[in-house]
Amino acid sequence: MKVLIIEDEKTLAYEMETFLKKAFYVCDLAHTFHDGLEKAQINSYDFILIDLGLPDGDGLDILKKIKKSHPEAVFIIITARGNLEDKITGLDLGADDYLAKPFYLLELQSRMQAIARRKFNVQDELLTIGDFEIDIQKRLVIHNKQEIELSRKEFDLLSYLLLHKNRVLTRMQLSEHIWGTFADVDYDSNYIDAHIKNIRKKLNVLASTEWLETVRGVGYRIRK
Amino acid sequence: MKLATKLLLFIAGSKLAVAALFILLLPFLVDQIASEYTNYILKEQQEKVMDIVAENGIQHYLQGEDSYGSYTLLKEEYIALEPHQEKTILDTIKDTKRIIEGDTLNYRVLSYTFNYQNKPYLLEVGKTLASIHQYNQPLQRFALYVLISLIVFTVLIDVTFTRLLVKPLGQIIKTRLVNRKFPFKDQDTKINTSTTDFTYLDESILILMKQINEAFAKEREFTANASHELMTPISILQHKLENLLRDEDLSESAELGILETMKTLDRLKKISSSLLLISRIDNEQFVKKDEVKPIALLQDILEEISHRLEEKNIQIHLNLKEDVLLKQVNQDLLFQLFYNLINNAIKFNKEKGSIEIFDELLSFNQYQITVKDTGRGIAKAQIPFIFNRFRKSDQAENPGYGLGLAIVKSIASYHQITIQVSSELGKGTSFKVLFNLF
Repeated sequence: MKVLIIEDEKTLAYEMETFLKKAFYVCDLAHTFHDGLEKAQINSYDFILIDLGLPDGDGLDILKKIKKSHPEAVFIIITARGNLEDKITGLDLGADDYLAKPFYLLELQSRMQAIARRKFNVQDELLTIGDFEIDIQKRLVIHNKQEIELSRKEFDLLSYLLLHKNRVLTRMQLSEHIWGTFADVDYDSNYIDAHIKNIRKKLNVLASTEWLETVRGVGYRIRK
Repeated sequence: MKLATKLLLFIAGSKLAVAALFILLLPFLVDQIASEYTNYILKEQQEKVMDIVAENGIQHYLQGEDSYGSYTLLKEEYIALEPHQEKTILDTIKDTKRIIEGDTLNYRVLSYTFNYQNKPYLLEVGKTLASIHQYNQPLQRFALYVLISLIVFTVLIDVTFTRLLVKPLGQIIKTRLVNRKFPFKDQDTKINTSTTDFTYLDESILILMKQINEAFAKEREFTANASHELMTPISILQHKLENLLRDEDLSESAELGILETMKTLDRLKKISSSLLLISRIDNEQFVKKDEVKPIALLQDILEEISHRLEEKNIQIHLNLKEDVLLKQVNQDLLFQLFYNLINNAIKFNKEKGSIEIFDELLSFNQYQITVKDTGRGIAKAQIPFIFNRFRKSDQAENPGYGLGLAIVKSIASYHQITIQVSSELGKGTSFKVLFNLF
């Protein structure tokens, strides 16, 4: 998968690149409006990440200009502006998603994965973990054809961990994915632990959940 | 008391005092005038007599008799002319008694001695005291009536004039000072007055308001810019740490160190976004076009927050009317407002405590939702400050950045919602959120 990152903050762009490279994406970087526009017009990309506040222009204009010629590309807007109007304009112009700075790179990755699945029509929505099957699209956890009822947040949490299997996710990363950044200042709260406890309680009745590990002091991981 | 009322009371009071003094002095004054006038009349008569004597000779009066005497029908006045027996020279006016035709009467008498052809004569002109004072009573009454009507008349004029005079002050207070909401808007129109003091006052207040507005705008701009500018460096740090954390060869202690740093960074991020949220609310960047059913809103919040209730074994009772609808509000902000209040109610609650959420229709357009907890309560001295940003709680065991209630306050004032807090230490706190329905 090829990614174009249009971001004027160089360090930020490099860090995104480093992260995405490890996830086997191929990245191009552009630091100005013109550079970004040029690269986007010449090459074809699967993902185009656009920062709105560029020194020599507005990212939304790039989106406007290249959306038609790149119907297959996924556009994700990255911005420090959190205005509702900006979001709506961006999405109206054909952006696929919108991330407000600062975001976790993991969050970016899973949004990219989710959009890719949708966009590239990946049918395989059934993931298996242990003795369970998880239907991402229908939002169901199934054991022996029996559906297990999880709450909205519990399902989000489980599927997020599963998407990033074999990787330790911190409580902060998990909570940001599930709750967003909307000012809940109680970062120390252990509500992620409470949700995990509930998930385990519900699943353990039917089969072992050893694959869902608590990593002491850090967070959680699904090992497969 | 109003300035106009005070002025009026003072004016009326001083007028009454002067009038009362005048009325008290009136009998004396009238007496004085009457007796002065009598003296004058008596002297006139004396001169007239002397003129006639000088012109026509003393016999004009005496006509061969020893003496001359004449009095009016009611014996109010008399005049007498006779040879003077004693050597004394008289030229006096005094009150004395005279017997005329058997009646003893009080007279004011002018006695005057003069020589005519080397013979001394005595002239007496008298006027009864009763006739002198006969006009005193009516005069006093008349003066009193005139005085009272003058007072009433001038007080009426005063009322009108002071009202007109003080009116600009009322306008200044009404348009500039009462019920002002931050930031002050529409301050261009000057108060129309010819009183320089009021113009000066009005101008000074305008300048002051302008300065406050500027300071306020600057502060808001600073908060917005500062928290906004922080987002990029926070992003960079966060991404760097995330990348570091993915290094397979990381030692456990390094990993924990990175995690701790991420936690701190997360805190910084939350503070920044809270500040940004506050400044966005203050700058009215949210639209108020939603219609919200309080019961549905609160149920959503409880669903979000239920796990926290379980942690502390807190019972929650939600008792809201079904048919209330809040219009022209921002749903996300109201969600945040109640979320923060309930979150606090949980945070400061005791183990196995309870939270009650209920509503009341206070009047046809006032609707109130109360969030009441059984927590540790807030000291009375602390209550005025709980909505301030970065308030440090004196209880060390509860973390928090003092922004939750600051956000509540911003949302409330943006929606013109009143919030009242009552609390008792050790027993709990209740927040009353008061909406105007129309």
